[in-house]
Amino acid sequence: MNDHRGNPCFHCGEPVPPGTDLAVEIGGERRPMCCAGCRAVATLIHSSGLDRYYDFRDALPERPDAIEAEPGRFAAWDREAVLDFHARPASDAGDDNRGRSRQSIVLVLENVHCAACAWLIHRYLRQFAGVSETRLDVGDGRLHLKFAPDQTPLSALAAALERIGYPPHLDTPDSGIDRDRNERRRMLRYLIVAALGMMQVMSYALAKYIAGGSPEAAGGMDPETEDFFRLISMLVAVPVALYAGQPFYRSAANHLRQRHLGLDVPVAAAILLALFSSVLITLFGQGEVYFDSVVMFVFFLLLGRFAVMLARQQSGAVHSALARALPSQARRLTTTGSEAVGLVELQVGDRVIVADGDVVPADGVVIEGDGSVDESLLSGESEPRPRAAGDAVLAGSLVTGGSLQLRIEKLGSGTVLSGIVELLGEARRRRPRLARLADTVAAWFIALILISTGLAAIYWWQTDPGSVIPVVLAMLVVACPCALALGTPTALASATRGLALEGVLTANPDALEALPGITHVVLDKTGTLTEPGARLVEVRPGTGLGRDEILQLAGALERVSNHPIARALAPFDCGRPVAQAENVAGAGVMGVIDGRKYWLGRADWVSGRAGGRWSEPGEGIWLALLAEGADEPAWLRVEARLRIGTQALIERLKDSGIRVVLASGDREVNVAPVAAALDIQAFHAAMRPEDKLALVERLQGQGARVAMVGDGINDAPVLAGADISIALAEGAAIARTQADLVATGRDLNPLIAVFDQAPRVRRIIRQNLVWALTYNLGALPLAAAGLVPPWAAAIGMSASSIAVVLNARRLGRTRDRRPAGTRAAPRTALETA
Amino acid sequence: MKIIYVLIPLSLMLLSLAVWAFFWAVRNDQFDDLDTPALDILDDDEEPGGEIENRE
Repeated sequence: MNDHRGNPCFHCGEPVPPGTDLAVEIGGERRPMCCAGCRAVATLIHSSGLDRYYDFRDALPERPDAIEAEPGRFAAWDREAVLDFHARPASDAGDDNRGRSRQSIVLVLENVHCAACAWLIHRYLRQFAGVSETRLDVGDGRLHLKFAPDQTPLSALAAALERIGYPPHLDTPDSGIDRDRNERRRMLRYLIVAALGMMQVMSYALAKYIAGGSPEAAGGMDPETEDFFRLISMLVAVPVALYAGQPFYRSAANHLRQRHLGLDVPVAAAILLALFSSVLITLFGQGEVYFDSVVMFVFFLLLGRFAVMLARQQSGAVHSALARALPSQARRLTTTGSEAVGLVELQVGDRVIVADGDVVPADGVVIEGDGSVDESLLSGESEPRPRAAGDAVLAGSLVTGGSLQLRIEKLGSGTVLSGIVELLGEARRRRPRLARLADTVAAWFIALILISTGLAAIYWWQTDPGSVIPVVLAMLVVACPCALALGTPTALASATRGLALEGVLTANPDALEALPGITHVVLDKTGTLTEPGARLVEVRPGTGLGRDEILQLAGALERVSNHPIARALAPFDCGRPVAQAENVAGAGVMGVIDGRKYWLGRADWVSGRAGGRWSEPGEGIWLALLAEGADEPAWLRVEARLRIGTQALIERLKDSGIRVVLASGDREVNVAPVAAALDIQAFHAAMRPEDKLALVERLQGQGARVAMVGDGINDAPVLAGADISIALAEGAAIARTQADLVATGRDLNPLIAVFDQAPRVRRIIRQNLVWALTYNLGALPLAAAGLVPPWAAAIGMSASSIAVVLNARRLGRTRDRRPAGTRAAPRTALETA
Repeated sequence: MKIIYVLIPLSLMLLSLAVWAFFWAVRNDQFDDLDTPALDILDDDEEPGGEIENRE
């Protein structure tokens, strides 16, 4: 298989499966594509003249599903009730009449990774008439869109977004986003005021430094001018420091009210002390003023705070989890037929139809029809279970095979899905906060500084009262644990960038710091260790066809089906036209290709249709492919496969002495063989979400530090409750939003990279903290001895911070940046007979 | 040196002007998207007036 490794899909970077010949011309060259989905997206990007997306991007997209031309998918989004609930009239249109119909809406997009995504979406949507604003928040995937429904309906825009690989979801109006934005803007204002104020005050101070402190006769500054400069410095520095320093004063006040010494207590004390003593000196007396040091101090501290705030805001986005797990619309039965309606319009007692491949919009009871329901994301059950009239189905589960007519019993917050989301919120609140430990350490450190500063002040008061203020200031500034505070966040930010290159997205950087301390790893089975859906493992040629021909035919025929088996064959679909395609739920598919009729499906069904008598050639799940008039079918074997890298990951964990536990919602008969194959002794089957959470909490109660790896909605609460949570990008969106780390790609190799990288992260953080502490503690006695003037203390503080930042940047570079295609090993391992 | 008594108050006025300009920018969403505008400059084959037509 090595020969395919150098041949990644140009769009998504995964290897092109053997026998696939899909290509799109981009930038004047034919580029290989791994599947019809990638080809469709790449073709669309190319035909819209947006080829340069491929030059701009610095992260690979997820592999898009091949999307059927399904015009009505977002039809309900144009309904009055939906727009009333989710959109609001845009205010920027001024007074002209045409602006009145303009709407402003927020959509949550999947698969947004980098600025190039934002560029692509912006360019692409602007081709539609009436779209006046597209602003994408790359951090949380929120698209702020202003559009004119009478020129381009929302449904058309939503379908367009889905076509280029960013499926949209409606977002419920939420104050969380506004709160984040207001906080960001407030910090930005502080930062701007501090930066401008710093430049100004420094320029005034510079005059004094150049002239020197000597009297006028020696070329110094005359006292009158000096007074004037002081006065002006005060006029600028006092409002600037009082305004821009607010975050520190507030935080210090909060800490003191809670009888706790936070980092901000000495910070606020230093700022206010320097400010007031300088004001007093300016107004009444003689001596040094420190306006320049104060403002510089405020600016550098704010800079660090701002960076930390940005990192924190990007990890949020819990509120959209529910929206992502539910379908975009529902089909409601009326007296005359059926209509597509938005979810906000549904009411208890309504009857809805859920077609094959659609997601159930609300909890309900089956009235008519039969089909299977895949609840794997909700419960971990690996196989779809048949449902008939009278059975209950849950919102968020997927109908595969057949279609169901439901009566809605529970909506919105009453659904099981919503209950899981709530459980999640609770688990998140209970999460042990790493920051608390850091705070305790810092509190001791600060107490030490305050006490020694107090002692030094007493000493200097008795020997040289004039030096008290400069010494106290120098001590407070020199001891400011700025580098200490910056050391961890900057190292984590760099590591985040480095891991992104390995295929791991970091939502909560704190996790990287805690990772080396992990003692237990709890793994989910369905969808985590095993791949979702089935995998093609064997082809037995027959029916007069070659192997490649069989795969291409099978891929084309399965296009009409949403069954997991069909997805296993989708990569081989090279777009051959299929006439009279038909999907028979639970049996197979048929169609006419190049004038010849084919059947593909269960052996007994194919036998029955074609009037033959064939049975499976061996153990396992076999599909028969029969051409009209052939004597014997060709056979394809599929199975649920372990993800590539599973074995290596478990060995890697065991080698580092980490205990591996398997916790699955699936039945024991399915779990035990997997555990045996991977040599995992501790496994638990048939676990509900609360059982998994209880298991993790029990382990934590015994002193274990638990990392959870999962993918489903049922894993979401336990992901939130674990010390560290890792989700797979292929899994449920809700699990992804709860995870600290998200592994992209379809194999588990990125997780190995995480466990390899984590000790380096910790080492750099240690170096930073040791350096910062050495600097702080080493400079403190010097400052106490009166050897450090306040301006030198401020410079030293900045220099130590810069050293820490530079050290942290080393983590952003990975040792070897492997080409993206080798990240994922080949998707199918074909053992041809 | 008397000129500094004019120049320095002048610099204060410029300072307040700068603060006002930045506040205006923050208030008008200029700092909300710092990722995509960096890519706009690379795009030289932009159709003239496209943005304006859309805005009407």
